[in-house]
Amino acid sequence: MTDRDLASTQPGKFWVCPECDLLMNRRAIPNRHEAHCPRCQSLIVSSKRHSIEWTLALALAGLILFFPANLFPILTLTTLGLSQSETIFMSVTALYDSHLFAVSALVLMSAIVVPLMKLLLMAYLSGCLLFHKPAPLLSWAMRSYQQLDSWGMLEIYMLGILVSIVKLVDVADVTPGIGLYSLAGLIIVTLLTSTQLDRHRFWRRIEQLERR
Amino acid sequence: MQHSALTRGIIICHRCEKPASIKQDGQPCPRCGTHIHRRKRHSVAYTWALLLASMIMLIPANLLPIMTFKSLGKGDPATIMQGVLQLLEHDMLGIALVVLTASIIIPVMKVIGLIILLLTVQLGWTTNVRQKMLMYHFVEWIGRWSMLDIFVVAILAAIVQLGNLASVTGNTGATAFAAAVIFTMLAANCFDTRLIWDKHLEQLEVFP
Repeated sequence: MTDRDLASTQPGKFWVCPECDLLMNRRAIPNRHEAHCPRCQSLIVSSKRHSIEWTLALALAGLILFFPANLFPILTLTTLGLSQSETIFMSVTALYDSHLFAVSALVLMSAIVVPLMKLLLMAYLSGCLLFHKPAPLLSWAMRSYQQLDSWGMLEIYMLGILVSIVKLVDVADVTPGIGLYSLAGLIIVTLLTSTQLDRHRFWRRIEQLERR
Repeated sequence: MQHSALTRGIIICHRCEKPASIKQDGQPCPRCGTHIHRRKRHSVAYTWALLLASMIMLIPANLLPIMTFKSLGKGDPATIMQGVLQLLEHDMLGIALVVLTASIIIPVMKVIGLIILLLTVQLGWTTNVRQKMLMYHFVEWIGRWSMLDIFVVAILAAIVQLGNLASVTGNTGATAFAAAVIFTMLAANCFDTRLIWDKHLEQLEVFP
């Protein structure tokens, strides 16, 4: 048996670096430790303690914060007795009114729909994994979450708010609303969710559940 | 240690990273259902295509106005660069630098970075491979931040609606700019870094 046959008959015994294709022997990684590729240094495994519990808690917290962040005004502009408030959805409709349909759809997706979908998918997935419930669409949910990951852009929207405040400071009074604080919380929770997510553990658990 | 999993007959699912035998090339992954391919398919061609599309879109994105700020009925449509200059006139150096970086410097650097990576694969410029991996990770991570200007237009258009006193509307340049950003993000996604290492190993065999 050649080296090549030996490897290809038992692929589960190995890790492969997704960035540089280095073949490594698989080994257990203790909680709170990381494994980096010895050749290209990219992160291969980051083992988290209570990864499933944390992502469930964070996703639920995110869902709670999502509503005030979207329903309450983020900024209020006052000048000469006139005032105007803004929510995330109003920035979508304002672009639509400027006849920028594609851009308004893009803002709708990246600032509202994708962040909400990510939270819903993660709450469903980590809930099912935590209670060992074999449910439909588990691998679909994980796959969709990974695909959507870089298309949620709330933190960039937040930087946009800061730039807008600075631009308007000379023109009028700008006061932050409840929406802005909720949005800040939502961003922190979303970022923590992606750092607490141990994707190898999630995929292994999904595989175990779907095999039953 | 200079080998690749592919030469040992192992490939991985690019979505869930489960290793599989080379015999499963083209079949769905048993764990997540994504089709497994030894390398991302047509990686170089797709990346070039999306990169060219974004380079083309960057021209109208910078020449056409992206928003109009009207105050007391006065105000002309402004391009990205004019917006930066206006910020400078109001002595807002810091914020002008942020906008300049996100809207002009980053998109141009991303395009140059991806061109270098593509030429690395096609012409075999495999010196400093680790630096090129760093460059790829940087391009991949920084890409989304160029959306900043689009969000600023969206926020200002929503909040500055005070009738004749002051109003902001978005202009067509925003569509071109958003398209350019999306195309570079997709181009970075299509690029397969393993091709750089394949080329590197190939050259190590020829010139050991």
